[in-house]
Amino acid sequence: MSDDRDSRWADLLRRANKGDPVAYGLFLRDITPVIRGIVDRRARALPHEGEDIVQTILLAVHSKRATWRDGDPVAPWLFAIVRYKCVDAWRRRPPHVDTPVEDLADVLVDPGPGDVTAARDLDRLIEGLDPRSATILRAVGVEGASARVTGQRLNMSEGAVRVAFHRALARLRRTVAGPQNTDEDPPGRRHDSTADDGGTRRE
Amino acid sequence: MKTDDLIDSLTADLPAAPPRSIEMRAVQWLTLGAGLAVLIFGLFLGFRPALAAALGDPVVAAKTVLPLALAIPALISCLRLAHPGADPSRARYAMWLPPVIAATLGIGAYLVTRPALRWDLFIGSSIDICGRAIVALALPMLVGLLIALRRGAPMHPTRCGALAGLAAGAFAAALYSLFCTEDSPMFYAVWYSLAIGSVGAIGALLGRKQLRW
Repeated sequence: MSDDRDSRWADLLRRANKGDPVAYGLFLRDITPVIRGIVDRRARALPHEGEDIVQTILLAVHSKRATWRDGDPVAPWLFAIVRYKCVDAWRRRPPHVDTPVEDLADVLVDPGPGDVTAARDLDRLIEGLDPRSATILRAVGVEGASARVTGQRLNMSEGAVRVAFHRALARLRRTVAGPQNTDEDPPGRRHDSTADDGGTRRE
Repeated sequence: MKTDDLIDSLTADLPAAPPRSIEMRAVQWLTLGAGLAVLIFGLFLGFRPALAAALGDPVVAAKTVLPLALAIPALISCLRLAHPGADPSRARYAMWLPPVIAATLGIGAYLVTRPALRWDLFIGSSIDICGRAIVALALPMLVGLLIALRRGAPMHPTRCGALAGLAAGAFAAALYSLFCTEDSPMFYAVWYSLAIGSVGAIGALLGRKQLRW
């Protein structure tokens, strides 16, 4: 982007290609945050792999450093390598596994109609809130009304309804979880890993 | 491994000598491959009788010159492709000239040849050896080029391999033309082109796998 940066990179890489390890270290440390920024944007679909991809790119820069032609700008050369390696990482990502649920019909437990007392419990919990929070929670959370409509009914702005709704939800969650478990995942959020479930399970 | 540690180990790994350029490697490996091709040529083919006299005829000389005029820009373009982010070489435009001239010569020969002779000149008498010999002469050069290109970083491995194949095939055709006695452009414009194109296809297939990095 800036000519300044590119001429610094060109100078460092030229010295590195002549065998100057200090210039080479400076060059690699200079480009790493830039690479990381691009990888974060391009490889959002591959979380947890970001730093792996950054390191793969640094290795590629290392083994292909002779392909930079002295006189060419460094940035297009570097970004081409980054692009190639990002596409490569995407292609190499583990295949998405799809298991038809019918095959597991015998193994999976039938969840049944659910806990019939849950609705009653929720009602009682909502009663415990202040009246305005209770109204908002019933309207938005239980009946599924939009924040805009609820706001018109209560003479509040849409944003204020959203804020009040989330605060009320958080208070409910604290009531349910008890004081020691306030950082519990909100209900309904998908768990990516179940391996450490035992550690966070409530008594 | 932490990224900082990786950078430290890469820095420690830096050799004091500057790396050889891809172009330098390509010339060295291509020379080695060409040496093998010349050896095969000497063992199994050999120069045609009265070579110098035959090359005095421009239509015959074109049989050697046109493949060379394709091979050199193909080689330059393919080497440029091995540099990430580099602008494509303008030599790629020059690659279109030899096929156009060959097609023109072929059509011209068709028009000036008596109809009774056309089929014989088109098929010739060495068609069974021509294609196979060009591919055989090209393979050592293609392999050499690909070995050198593996040190490069082509963004488009298939395209880079195809150009390496075209270059190797065209060099091989130029060499083969010194043996071949089929002097009608109706013959060489078609069969040489097919052979060179086949080596290009082989290069594309090999490059697709071998030039990934």
